[in-house]
Amino acid sequence: MNPSWRSRSRPLRAAALGLGAALALSACGDADDGDTITFIAAEYSSDTEPYWQELIADFEEANPGMSVDLQVVNWDDIDQHVTTLVQNRQQPDVLNLNKFAGFAADGLLRPAEDVVSAEVRDDFLPGFADNSVYEGTQYGLPFIASTRLFFYNTDLFDEAGLDGPPRTWDEVADYAEQISELGAVGYGLPLGPEEAQAEFQMWINGNGGHWTDSDGNWAINSEENVETLEFLAGMVDDGLTQPNPATTNRADMFNAFAQGDVGMLNGAVFLPGVIEDQNPDLNYDIAPIPGNEGHEPSTLGVQDYLMAFDNPGNEEAVNAFLDFVYDTDNYTEFLSTERFLPATDSASEAMTSDAELAPFIEALPEARFFPTTRPEWTEVDGAVKQEIGTAVQDAEPREVLDRLQQRASGE
Amino acid sequence: MTVPAAMMRKVLLTACAWLVALVVLAPYVQMLLTALKPHEELFASPPGYLPESWQFGNFLEVWRVAPIWEYLRNTVLIAGLSTVLAVAVALPAAYYTARRRFRGRRMFLLLVLVTQMFAPTALVIGIHREMLALGLIDTYAALILVNAAFNLAFSTWILHAYFSSIPVELEEAAWLDGCGTLQALLRVTLPLAVPGVVTAVIFTFITAWNEFVVALTLTSTPETQPLTVGITAFIGQYEVQWQYLFAASLIAIVPVVALFAYIERFLVSGLTAGSVK
Amino acid sequence: MRPSATTTGRVPAGRARPRRTARLEPLLWLGPALLLIGGIVLWPVVEMVLTSLREISRTGVPRGWAGADNFSALLDHPELVPVIGRTIVWVAGIVAVTVALSLGLAQLLHARFPGRRLVRWALIVPWAASLVMTAIVWRWMLSYFYGITNRVLTDLGVIDSPRDWLGDPTIALLWMMWVGVFVSLPFTTYVLLAGLQTVPDEVHEAARVDGASRWRTYWSVVFPLLKPALLVATVINVINVFNSFPIIWAMTRGGPGNATDTTTTFMYKLAFVDQSVGQSAAMAVVNFLMVVVMVLLYLRAVRWKEIG
Repeated sequence: MNPSWRSRSRPLRAAALGLGAALALSACGDADDGDTITFIAAEYSSDTEPYWQELIADFEEANPGMSVDLQVVNWDDIDQHVTTLVQNRQQPDVLNLNKFAGFAADGLLRPAEDVVSAEVRDDFLPGFADNSVYEGTQYGLPFIASTRLFFYNTDLFDEAGLDGPPRTWDEVADYAEQISELGAVGYGLPLGPEEAQAEFQMWINGNGGHWTDSDGNWAINSEENVETLEFLAGMVDDGLTQPNPATTNRADMFNAFAQGDVGMLNGAVFLPGVIEDQNPDLNYDIAPIPGNEGHEPSTLGVQDYLMAFDNPGNEEAVNAFLDFVYDTDNYTEFLSTERFLPATDSASEAMTSDAELAPFIEALPEARFFPTTRPEWTEVDGAVKQEIGTAVQDAEPREVLDRLQQRASGE
Repeated sequence: MTVPAAMMRKVLLTACAWLVALVVLAPYVQMLLTALKPHEELFASPPGYLPESWQFGNFLEVWRVAPIWEYLRNTVLIAGLSTVLAVAVALPAAYYTARRRFRGRRMFLLLVLVTQMFAPTALVIGIHREMLALGLIDTYAALILVNAAFNLAFSTWILHAYFSSIPVELEEAAWLDGCGTLQALLRVTLPLAVPGVVTAVIFTFITAWNEFVVALTLTSTPETQPLTVGITAFIGQYEVQWQYLFAASLIAIVPVVALFAYIERFLVSGLTAGSVK
Repeated sequence: MRPSATTTGRVPAGRARPRRTARLEPLLWLGPALLLIGGIVLWPVVEMVLTSLREISRTGVPRGWAGADNFSALLDHPELVPVIGRTIVWVAGIVAVTVALSLGLAQLLHARFPGRRLVRWALIVPWAASLVMTAIVWRWMLSYFYGITNRVLTDLGVIDSPRDWLGDPTIALLWMMWVGVFVSLPFTTYVLLAGLQTVPDEVHEAARVDGASRWRTYWSVVFPLLKPALLVATVINVINVFNSFPIIWAMTRGGPGNATDTTTTFMYKLAFVDQSVGQSAAMAVVNFLMVVVMVLLYLRAVRWKEIG
């Protein structure tokens, strides 16, 4: 007789009992009392969850009887998680994500005017509020913003005998050539799946192009955009960028810039923080993003949203919570914890003293956004991340853009 | 064979085996060295082989920055009970299909195999709906049932193969000694099948230990989340805390290797140590 | 003594039992397994098939029945055929190399040598470690900018400047297949090692006395006894490698474009990049049918009936 086998049957019985007990317990624990709300937040950094936990504790203390079930989900997994919940009609009461229009189009959201107080609504910066509208009604609540600027490594510039930032595309290419002769990457071009859509938009904007034309129709394969990609493909061909832009992610590029291996790139508001962490001695400067000859510099604005789903029963608690989130003190604390730009007037005022953020806040009024008010944007965004990089390497730019245009316009 | 040749063979064999160990461990050594680097050394280019300043504190700090204990406890409970359930259910089925011919025997074995064939991502929405209906969202029970059910195939098949390879004559001898079927199974066959049971246990345990997609969907609180889900907190939108992510991942390997070290001896028992001789 | 299929079915134990339970007897032994499968597995599978026949909005709201629309849209997808071709190469390549290496490794770990226990413990590590983390650390090591692989190879003089290993689709796919082999080795080796335990030592000795060469002993005596274990290991590997998601997702996301996608990552992208949950479920159904066919072909090729 093998004694080890005998003893194994005991945990087995325990397991069976445990399963039964769990079944019995959970059957009666599902009472929705109207004062509990579920909130799914995206994970910006490891500070995100502690921030929300603390805020929720404060909220629950200030509003006895109300409670918030928080779930913070990683950006990689949040789409899958939310889709699963929506498909099983278990969408959260409040969601924090980088898109809203698809949910609005499916009639799942409550309009902003039913969700937050008039004071909060009036406090949103107009550009952000406009970018939260679906078919004439505002559904998204602008939550955080970020802009991009041009970063260049002044040590490499000095070494190459270059003075000041480039102001046109031709200068970018020229400078990149001189820097790459030093053995560094001239211009860092991250067109990998992480954030290719951002890099792409910054370049097409610099050539007078955009995702849509002035009438609001999709115009991804416009002549301006084709020309942009051809210019970039030329830079890649000439070895002015890192090899394989199609697979280089932004995070890798930023790290390489922080290490002093890259001459120039389009950096985000959080890049100075990355440099501070990794290589505080790096000498760099920030400038407007150069455009093609004859085009003004432009910048990319990115915004994320909060939204309230139309789940009847606990609207009062949801509204109270969202007003609490947008309380100026609470809101600015989130922004300064996560290093983001404000989407409200009051927070902008409160944050003007932040020297590091100042150039980015200054660029905000001129910023152009992703077309997030269009439901199709989600799949265009996904497709661009996958494919745009191939257009500067092996694929034909026009063909890639034609495919994307087709996908966007659904033809 | 001459003595020096046998010696040579042994040396060569040992060298080969140690080389294999080296290759197999290399990525995890790299993980360890990365976990011991301070943040500013992580992205040095070219990278250093060893940390310039050793941050052993990362391994202590990680327990503070995330509820690693809770996550580990959840993982141990979920993986352990899933394993017990799966193997307990697979054992009789495997024995019976190995020893008896009956209608639907092959159908049953194929059916069990089919349960293994679905990509978890494809089923996650359905599993979520199922657990909603059963009221098991955010419970251990949900993950235990799912892990056990979807990992039944390997246990059943490997035990089936094992029981098939154990000569029935041994059991017959036991019957002659006056044992019943069940007694013969428990006293004679099962001890001989221990390496198979151990393999089934290791397989199920490890699969459940590392399960991620279903756990992410079915659990939402640190009270039930396993480590695989918990450590995604180190993956921020812009910056990954590699040192903690790697430290926590290495910590998660230790219990599995310890369990394995404990039951590995049973892999070599079985027939050689058993009653065949 | 040579245990084989002939022993099955010769069990006389039923004789002593009362007749009326005889017909229910299989249910008694197989019942728990059937209950678990019927209770847990069946539902989500039905759900998956239903989803593949539905029209689902981009956020996940069901919009009604779609008939075969999802399937025809999928079959029209220009990337489908290359992705399926790549999946077959992926599965066949990884499983074949894994099995070949594991046969040798199992034999190696079965032999006695100093430190055997430690080597066995080491081999468990790639299996014990989370697959996602193993894939991530390989990506880390292969990084163009800060990967240790480039450092080692440059220091050894193998390459003179860093390479972007995961930048080129073909080379990236080869590296990912290596990672696939790397994580499948422990499992396969241990199944075979456990299988080797059923080979009595006497078999080796008897063969050696006969003057048979080691190689011949292996092929004619040991290998046939390993067949049941090998069969299980191969089938499980085929299924797992086919459905493997984390390696490709963590290392290249199937990119650039779809150049390193297999059906599993492609399925994921259909749902969460193309926002077409219905088409993704259709892909899941096709995926499942492909595994079934592959496994059945394999079982047929190895004449499972004789072994099982």
